[in-house]
Amino acid sequence: MLQWSSPSFANTVMSEETPLTLHAFPRAILHIDGDAFFASCEQSRNPHLQGKPVITGKERGIVASMSYEAKARGVTRGMRLFEVKRLCPDAVILPSDYETYSLLSVRLFAIVRRYTPEVEEYSIDECFADLTGLRRPLRLSYQQMAERIKHALDAELGFTFSVGLAPNKVIAKIASKWQKPSGLTVIPGYGIHQFLKDVPVGKVWGIGPQTAALLEKHGMRTALQFARKSEVWVKKLLTKPFYDIWQELNGRYVLPLVTVEKTSYQSIQKWKTFTPPSRDRDFVLAQLSKNIENACLKARKYRLAARGAIVSLKTQQFLVRGIEVKFSRATAFPHDILHVIQPAFAQLFQSDEEYRATGVVLLRLEEDTMRQLELFEDTLKIEKFSRVYQAMDHLREQFGKHTVFLGSSYLAHRFAQHLGARGDAPERTGRLFKGETKRKRLAIPMFMGEVR
Amino acid sequence: MDPIQRLQPLIQFYRGRRRMPSVRELARLWGFRSQNAADKLARHLIARGFLAKDTTGKLLPSRFFYEVRILGTVEAGFPSPAEEELGDTMDLDEFLIKNKEATYMLKVTGDSMKDAGILPGDMVLVERGVEPHDGDIVIAHIDHAWTLKYLRKRGRKVWLEPANKRYKPIFPTEELKIAAVVIAVIRKYRDE
Repeated sequence: MLQWSSPSFANTVMSEETPLTLHAFPRAILHIDGDAFFASCEQSRNPHLQGKPVITGKERGIVASMSYEAKARGVTRGMRLFEVKRLCPDAVILPSDYETYSLLSVRLFAIVRRYTPEVEEYSIDECFADLTGLRRPLRLSYQQMAERIKHALDAELGFTFSVGLAPNKVIAKIASKWQKPSGLTVIPGYGIHQFLKDVPVGKVWGIGPQTAALLEKHGMRTALQFARKSEVWVKKLLTKPFYDIWQELNGRYVLPLVTVEKTSYQSIQKWKTFTPPSRDRDFVLAQLSKNIENACLKARKYRLAARGAIVSLKTQQFLVRGIEVKFSRATAFPHDILHVIQPAFAQLFQSDEEYRATGVVLLRLEEDTMRQLELFEDTLKIEKFSRVYQAMDHLREQFGKHTVFLGSSYLAHRFAQHLGARGDAPERTGRLFKGETKRKRLAIPMFMGEVR
Repeated sequence: MDPIQRLQPLIQFYRGRRRMPSVRELARLWGFRSQNAADKLARHLIARGFLAKDTTGKLLPSRFFYEVRILGTVEAGFPSPAEEELGDTMDLDEFLIKNKEATYMLKVTGDSMKDAGILPGDMVLVERGVEPHDGDIVIAHIDHAWTLKYLRKRGRKVWLEPANKRYKPIFPTEELKIAAVVIAVIRKYRDE
């Protein structure tokens, strides 16, 4: 056979049917992945959209998520919407309703937590769950648990999920992807090799195009060929993260679930595009001011304060220019930051340019203890500000975001973020009950469309 | 100090971090030096239903940790002199919603259920994934729209019945797709 000509393949051919491990589930890890999550959230709440190509991301101008009907027509993620219209003229293009998607995401995790407290919320529509040791208390096999969880998710959220059960995260990822949509794939340790022989090495979670190219140079095209490489070789040629993946491909459990929720951030970023683009200095500054207010709001929520920031402007030609600004003390007050960034903004803003987006990144965040005031600082003023912002945060908590904002952000609040088709608000915001406001709605997903 | 006041720092902690404190953090929150003291108070609160714990002994939030404000009608959770009795009461969320993850709402647009007291503009709470019974009001999809009707079952025959003489019952020709079962109808009259 052809493979004999390449000595590194010889081993592989002979042991094609040899299991990588003899264990079934030393650990039982479940990976759960929502099928076309955002588009499914939309379809499941509106019968008018069922069976149709549905696309979300109208406000971004590109496809954020597409239903399987749209996928079948060749629509891909990230595609520009005008291309979608050409390819699929009957596509229903919707603005993202992140509020609803988040409500359903929280439900996804809550349902999985009925079975096990060990859940890693990997992204808005994906999670890992550790089921190890639950067979006796639940009187169920691992496969039955996976079936129950999938059934509960499908029935209670109204659309389908793909589920993979395996001895570790890397294999569980392969399992959940194996059959989509609505698949349930079980890969016990002794069965891993049968799946890996059909998985290209670059499709393994964590192996990027660079590493895939390197492995291919060494004659490995499939994940199985990589898994069969000797430990010594892998350790010598590759870095730790890839050694970990190699171990997991061999059925070992080395990548733990990250089950603690994120309560602190290294940096906080707020970017917002606006349409139409603008040359108006005050308007662009107001957009930046709004971003700074939002970033600070988030920082205060996690009791953090920043020691610096990068402010950036993006032109209509998609050129981004940014300047880093250092603060004399850590702060989470937009007042302080707006004051300090004025010279940077003056330097960035060119009156002959048209701008389409502004952004801010708060840097070097630290816990906001408010104790290490420097000697000559105006303690009284800081104290006063912190009371003002406490009151503002309180108002926002009660009446919704942007109930009160700085005068410097006013121009950015006067109109919707996007004028024209991109500015269409999600349907939910136009369907309010008495007692709900534009700023504050019930935290229950709403069925859409006509109710006859 | 009454139990509700004792809970305040815990509630704040829970809202801020989305998890319950450990015993060590509990001691810090209550300003105790001893973790033993914190544990004792926690157990006392658990016994009275102000706190809960799971099978591994970790703290769980009780109903006092959730805001009733979600439904925007009553303000609950104020300190009461009869706090011992509060363990046997429930808030409006608990009363209306049995399975939080499966409950959805919708706004009625038609009048086909008006004789059942469901009018245009009403909020209807529905639950997905439950078995619909004869006589339930259900939300089904017919001709690419939601329809709200009584479900009737006689032997193998299944049909949908409106509560308005001007509409006719619907006898499905294909499989009847029932999305959810109605749990409650809410109509708010005043908002001040």
